[in-house]
Amino acid sequence: MSYAYLFKYIIIGDTGVGKSCLLLQFTDKRFQPVHDLTIGVEFGARMITIDNKLIKLQIWDTAGQEAFRSITRSYYRGAAGALLVYDITRRETFNHLTTWLEDARQHSNSNMVIMLIGNKSDLESRREVKKEEGDAFAREHGLIFMETSARTAANVEEAFINTAKEIYEKIQEGVFDINNEANGIKIGPQHSPSNASLPPGSQSSSPSSGCC
Amino acid sequence: MFRSRSWFGGGLWRNKNPHSLEHLKYLHNVLSKNQIVSENNRGLLVETLRSIAEILIWGDQNDSSVFDFFLEKNMLSFFLNILKQKCGSYVCVQLLQTLNILFENIRSETSLYYLLSNNHVNLIIVHKFDFSDEEVMAYYISFLKTLSLKLNGHTIHFFYNDNTNDFPLYTEAIKFFKHPESMVRIAVRTLTLNVYRVQDASMLRFIRNKTAVPYFSNLVWFIGNHVLELDTCVRNDADHQSQTRLSDLVAEHLDHLHYLTDILNLNIEALNDVLIDHLLNKLFVPLYIFSLLPPHSNAIKEGNTRVSSVVSLFLLSQVFLISRQQPLVQDLAHIILRGTSVNGENSSVLAQAAPVFVAPTKTLEESLDCDHVLTSGAGNLGFYYNNLNITDEEKEQMLAQEAPKIFLDVIVNSLDCTENDYSALFALCLLYAISHNAGISPDLLDGLLIPSSNPEQKPRYTSWLVQKLINIITLSCQLGCKVRLVTLELTISLLLRLTLKDRVSLLTDAHLAAVLAAREESTSLLRNYYKREDIFGDMFESEDEELRKKPLNVEWLMMDSNILLPPTGTPLTGIEFNKRLPCGEVERARRAIRVFLLVRDLCLKLSGEKETQLPLTNRNDCVQSNAVLDLTNSDLLSCNVIGPDGVRNHRFLVVESNQIMLVVPVPGQLGFGQPTLSALLHDLDVTADKQDVKSLYISAKYTTAGPMVNTRFIFDDSIRCMAAQQR
Ligand SMILES: Nc1nc2c(ncn2[C@@H]2O[C@H](COP(=O)(O)OP(=O)(O)OP(=O)(O)O)[C@@H](O)[C@H]2O)c(=O)[nH]1
Ligand SMILES: [Mg+2]
Repeated sequence: MSYAYLFKYIIIGDTGVGKSCLLLQFTDKRFQPVHDLTIGVEFGARMITIDNKLIKLQIWDTAGQEAFRSITRSYYRGAAGALLVYDITRRETFNHLTTWLEDARQHSNSNMVIMLIGNKSDLESRREVKKEEGDAFAREHGLIFMETSARTAANVEEAFINTAKEIYEKIQEGVFDINNEANGIKIGPQHSPSNASLPPGSQSSSPSSGCC
Repeated sequence: MFRSRSWFGGGLWRNKNPHSLEHLKYLHNVLSKNQIVSENNRGLLVETLRSIAEILIWGDQNDSSVFDFFLEKNMLSFFLNILKQKCGSYVCVQLLQTLNILFENIRSETSLYYLLSNNHVNLIIVHKFDFSDEEVMAYYISFLKTLSLKLNGHTIHFFYNDNTNDFPLYTEAIKFFKHPESMVRIAVRTLTLNVYRVQDASMLRFIRNKTAVPYFSNLVWFIGNHVLELDTCVRNDADHQSQTRLSDLVAEHLDHLHYLTDILNLNIEALNDVLIDHLLNKLFVPLYIFSLLPPHSNAIKEGNTRVSSVVSLFLLSQVFLISRQQPLVQDLAHIILRGTSVNGENSSVLAQAAPVFVAPTKTLEESLDCDHVLTSGAGNLGFYYNNLNITDEEKEQMLAQEAPKIFLDVIVNSLDCTENDYSALFALCLLYAISHNAGISPDLLDGLLIPSSNPEQKPRYTSWLVQKLINIITLSCQLGCKVRLVTLELTISLLLRLTLKDRVSLLTDAHLAAVLAAREESTSLLRNYYKREDIFGDMFESEDEELRKKPLNVEWLMMDSNILLPPTGTPLTGIEFNKRLPCGEVERARRAIRVFLLVRDLCLKLSGEKETQLPLTNRNDCVQSNAVLDLTNSDLLSCNVIGPDGVRNHRFLVVESNQIMLVVPVPGQLGFGQPTLSALLHDLDVTADKQDVKSLYISAKYTTAGPMVNTRFIFDDSIRCMAAQQR
C-alpha cells in the first residue's frame, strides 16, 4: 500500500493527560475499552483516506524528553501537525497550555496545524475544565478543538483525521512547501516524479508493502 | 493497515475472557502450532502477538501468574524465532509494536526484570531488520527509545554487559545518527542522552573507550557537512530565493549545538573531554575559525575546505550564544582573541600546524566493529593550540603582545561599514556573544570585551575597538548610509558593554565628543523629516514605542537565517524593518527617528542621566478608575454614553488639563466623583453627528478601559454639545 502523502504528528501536553493512550487508541483500535485497561504507546502509524487519497499518519509521542532542550526543539520542527492535549479532570494541565503553545509556536514551522484536545471526557463527574473554556482557548489562539476519551474512543478518530484534513487543505492551498521534508510532510512513492515511470507493483521494497 | 478484522477476531473467542491466564495458554498453543510463518498464518500470528501484549499488561496489574506462565514457556523466544524467518514487514512491525506496548505499559519492576532477564531483548535489538522499510525503521527506533526510557542503575546491566563488553542498545542506535529521516535522528539523540544520564561508571567507561571517538568524530563530520551545505546555500542565493531551505539549515545547526550542549551539560568528564577535543580540533577551529582568514592567507593550506567569513562569524556567534561549557568556550575564545600567527613574518609555521576539516578515517560502523579499544584523541593542532594551552603567563604574554592577533584582527576589520554592514553585524554578534558568555573567564576578556577590572590601569578599555564602534554610530547618522538599524542597536549595546563599569562611563573625552557629535548629526537628520511629514508626531511616538516593546535580543537575532543574505531594502522579502535598509521616504523618516532615539538613549546612559522626556505621552498618567476625585471646582457636563453594543449609561464628562474623564458620583460624598474611563485628549478622535446637534461620536485607541470605538455621546442640548466638542 503506497500513500499519497505521509504526515508526521507529534503529541504534546503535560504528563498523564493520556497522550500515549490516544496514540494507541487511534493506531490500533483493537485496544478498545471493553475492560478497565487503557494502554499506551509512544509511536504509531496508520493509513487514512482524505479526498480519495491514501494518507499515512505517523505519530511520535514526545514524552520523557522534557529534560533535554535539544530534543523538544527538533521534534517540533519535524512535524506537520501537533495534538496539544490536556486532561479535563485536572485544571493545572489546562493552565499549562499557554506554555506549551508558546514553545510550539517558537520552535515549529509556522504552518504546523495544532489541534487542542481535552481528554478523558468519559470522566464527566470529575470534570474540572468546562468544555466552553477549551473552546474559548482554542478560538483565542486559532486552534481546532475537540474533547476526546482514549478510554471510550469517543472523538479519537475525528481528532486525528480533522487535523489531517486541515493539513491536506493547506497543501491544496499551496501553503506548505511539500518538497521540503523538514516540514513533516512527505510525498508518497507513487507521487514522486522519479518513480512515476515504474509500473504499479514493481515497488516491492516500498514502504508498507507488507502482505496486508 | 491494522484495521483488518480477521475472521476469528469476533467469532471464535467470543466466549473466552481475553484477560485471563487461560487465554494466554491458548495463545501459547497458537504460537507453538505456527512456528513456521507462512502466507496463511500471518494474520493469525499478528492477532496473537497483539493479544499477548494486552494480556501481559493486564497480568502485570492484576494477576502475577500470567507473567510466570509467559516466562516459564519462554515465550519471547517465539518472537525471535519468528523474526529469524524473514517474516515480512507486516509481522515485523506488529512484533515490534507488541514489544513497544509491553515495555511502555509494564509498571511492576519485577515484571520488567523478568522480561529483560534472559538475553532475548538484546538479540532482538541486534537483529538485522529491513531498515530500508520506513515503517520497520520507525517502529524499531521507537522500540529502542522506549527501552532507553526504562534505563536506570539496575536495568542498565541487562543492556550493557561488563563481561562481553557490549551494549547493543546503544551501539545499534547510534548507527542511525545521520539517518535521512529527522524523527529517527531525534530518537537516536534522545536515546543517547537517556543512556549517558544513567551515570553508571563501568557503562560510561565503555562508552568512552569503545564508542566516543567513533561516534563523536562522525557526528562532528556530519555537522560540518551541514555547515558546508549552509554556506553553499548562502553563496548561491543572492536574490533571496531559497529562504526556506536556508532557514532549515540554520535551524539544523542550532539543533546540533543544542544537542551537543545537552550532552556537555550532563558533566560527564570523560565524555566531555573527547567531545570537546573533537569539536575544537575537527570542527570549530579548522572549519569555523580558519574560515575567518582571507582565502589566500599564508596561514591556510591550499585546497582547505572553508566557508565564507560571514557564515563563519554567524556560526561562531551561535556557538557562544548557546554553549557556556567552560573548557569549550574558554579555549575557543582564547584562540579567537589571542590567537597569533606566532611569528608575524613567517606565518608558514602556522600553515603547517593549521588544522584541517577532514572526514574521519573510518565510518562509524567500521570503527565500532573493529575490536581494539580506541583512545586516541583528535588533537592535531599540535604546537599551535597546545602552546596556548600549556603556556605559563610570561610565554603567553610574549606571544600575545608581539605577534598580531590574526583572528581578532579580521573580526575587528569586519566592523568597517563604509560599503555595507553585512559582515559587521556578525562580527558585532560574535564579540557581543563572547563578552556575555559566562563560561569564559573574565581574565581573558578584561580590558578587551569588558572594562578593565583594575581602574588605575590606563587604558581602561581597548581604544581601537571602541573607535571602530563609534565609527559605525557616526556613519549611521549620515543621510543614505548603509547601516541597518539592528547593526546600530547592537553596536550601541556592545559599546556600553565595553565602556560602562558600574553604570559609569569610562569613555575618554575624545570618544565621548565623537558620540555627542553623532547625536547632533542624528538630530539634524531628523529635522529633514520633521518639516516634511505631517504625521511626524505620531510616527515618532510609534517608533519610540516599538523600540521599547522589542528590545534587541541577540539570541533570537542569530536564529534568523534571513540576516545571512546580503542586506536588502525591499520589504517584499518579508524581512523585518530593522533588519533591512529603508525603502521609500516614509521608511527613511522612520529610520531617522529610530537612529535619533537610539543614539539619544546611548548618550543618556553614558552620562548616567535618567530619561525624563520620553515617552512623549505617558498613558499611565491617566487617572485610574479606582481614584476618587474632588470635582467641586470642575466643569461637569451631564451626558448619555452609548457604546457600539447599544448599552446606554449616564455619565458626567470632565476635562482636566490633558485628559478627558467620564465620572459617576460617589454615593454619600457630595461633589466627589469616580472615573469609569479616562483618556488623553490627543488620543481622541471626535466627529459631530450630522443628524443630531446634541450628539458627538468619539473614538480613542487608548483609554483606561481599553479602546473606545465610535461611542455616541448625547448631551442635554446643542450648546453643551458644542462646548464639549471645543474642549
Ligand atoms: N478515564 C480515562 N483515563 C485515561 C484516558 N486516557 C488516558 N487515561 C489514563 O491516564 C493515565 C495516563 O495516560 P498516558 O497515556 O500514559 O499519559 P501520557 O500523556 O502519555 O503521560 P506521559 O507519558 O507521562 O507524558 C493512564 O493511567 C491512562 O489509563 C481517558 O480518556 N479516560
Ligand atoms: Mg506517554
